[in-house]
Amino acid sequence: MDVFLSITFDGGAVREFFFNGVILRGVRMTLQVTVLSMFLGAFLGIILAVMRVSHSRILSGFSGFYVWFIRGTPVLIQLLVVYNGIPQMVGSREFTLFLTPFRAALITFSLNEAAYMAEIVRAGIQAIEPGQMDAAKSLGMPNLQAMRRVILPQALRVVIPPTGNEFIAMLKNTSIAFVAGLVELTTAARLIYSVNFKTMELLVVASIWYLIMTTAFSVLQAEVEARMAIVERERVLPLSTRVLRALGGSRER
Amino acid sequence: MKRWLRHSLLLICVVLVAAFVASACGGDNEEESTASPTKAPATGSPTTSLAAGVPELSDGTLQVGSDISYAPIEFYEEGTQNATGLDVDLANAIGKELGVKVEFQNTGFDGIIPALEAERFDVIMSSMTITEERQQQIDFIPYFTAGTGILVQAGNPNNIQSLADLCGKNVAVQLGTIQVDQLNAQNEQCTDKISITTFDQNPLAVEQLSLGRADAVTADYPVAGNDARLSEGKLELVSTQFEAAPYGIGVRKGSTELNAAITKALQNIMDNGEYDTILADWNLEAGSIK
Repeated sequence: MDVFLSITFDGGAVREFFFNGVILRGVRMTLQVTVLSMFLGAFLGIILAVMRVSHSRILSGFSGFYVWFIRGTPVLIQLLVVYNGIPQMVGSREFTLFLTPFRAALITFSLNEAAYMAEIVRAGIQAIEPGQMDAAKSLGMPNLQAMRRVILPQALRVVIPPTGNEFIAMLKNTSIAFVAGLVELTTAARLIYSVNFKTMELLVVASIWYLIMTTAFSVLQAEVEARMAIVERERVLPLSTRVLRALGGSRER
Repeated sequence: MKRWLRHSLLLICVVLVAAFVASACGGDNEEESTASPTKAPATGSPTTSLAAGVPELSDGTLQVGSDISYAPIEFYEEGTQNATGLDVDLANAIGKELGVKVEFQNTGFDGIIPALEAERFDVIMSSMTITEERQQQIDFIPYFTAGTGILVQAGNPNNIQSLADLCGKNVAVQLGTIQVDQLNAQNEQCTDKISITTFDQNPLAVEQLSLGRADAVTADYPVAGNDARLSEGKLELVSTQFEAAPYGIGVRKGSTELNAAITKALQNIMDNGEYDTILADWNLEAGSIK
């Protein structure tokens, strides 16, 4: 029996499929779903965070419940509920057709991200010392205005790093949308290798694309953080150092 | 809360979590393989001469890779993890001839050939149609014939009678099947393209048909027929099957002894009538290759 370990890997296939149309459309779909979901999710998350810290027990309670529920169930189940479960309950053809794979993914990922963003923004808000709120109120600002013009802008600096992490996580989590028939990058790779059997080669193609996307956004995040740095309080490191720190994550602020 | 109480509760939690994790890691992990009931002895080496000299069978077990979500060929009995179906019964009969135990391993269909090549199991028996592309990867032993069937909503609202009628429609189909190739081939002749959505398993595709997102599902004829039968009148099968082609038991290209042993065992059960009995049990005599 042959026990010689040989590695079959067709590097040419990686080159061949790297700019394949199906793959590129998958990359575009992944980016579209990620960017849109993050925007919607962040927007909803800010609202949920403000609700959570408000004095109204109803608002605070609802927000808390929402975060608990969404964080407590797997995204995969949420996606199946939105894509299959709810249409089955509603039983209306127009409703089902309205809920395309793209829309179902967008709704699910936005609602899901909102819960995580709510916690991140809440932490950012609570990181601002109460003196700021007191100062704003002493100027006669109503709560909501104080929140919008004093607290949230400052909270933004604390919120950016974890938000960047969420973005990168979302880029990769979109791959589960294959259960809703969405042709994003991972599905694209599987469609191709299920026909030509070059499993590893296509997975490498997909992985390289994911790395390109996540790296690009890591660098972008590092730039945004650098621009928001308060110059007197933090040193701004040279660009090359910032990029390297962004790729590997930094141990110090 | 008193400090000692808090510390004890914390300790209990840690111990419970550790015990849970340890039980998952340590013990026998039975989720992947489902042992099908068989009359062959469970101990080590095979008992008949057919299996002698076959390296894959030296452990007394024939490991079968299959996508067990394709009723009535291979599927789990409802609410259990017992594999059943035409392929399961045929595999068990072949296993008995060889004197080995048969174990079915649930595997995703799109990765099933690479999994066989990676020696995850000994053979593939998963309603796999013999095609040229697949024959470049592995060898096949034909054992059944089936064509493609088109499943539509009751009353056939879009009046679909053939593949050509699918142009411009939404079709849901399982990833990695020959039906995907057929649809792609048909698409080249369509002016109005077929909107093809792929799913990991056939039932997921059928679900989209029931929900109205898809206008049709294409799958192997016996499976589509079974889906129609189980749909309580909501789905129906378009009349004839087309492009009938043989199913094959897949073996690795190097497994010459296994290939020969299974071919002989299959011939035996065809000769002694067991093959006919099994096909009759599942109302699938139409697919016999005798």
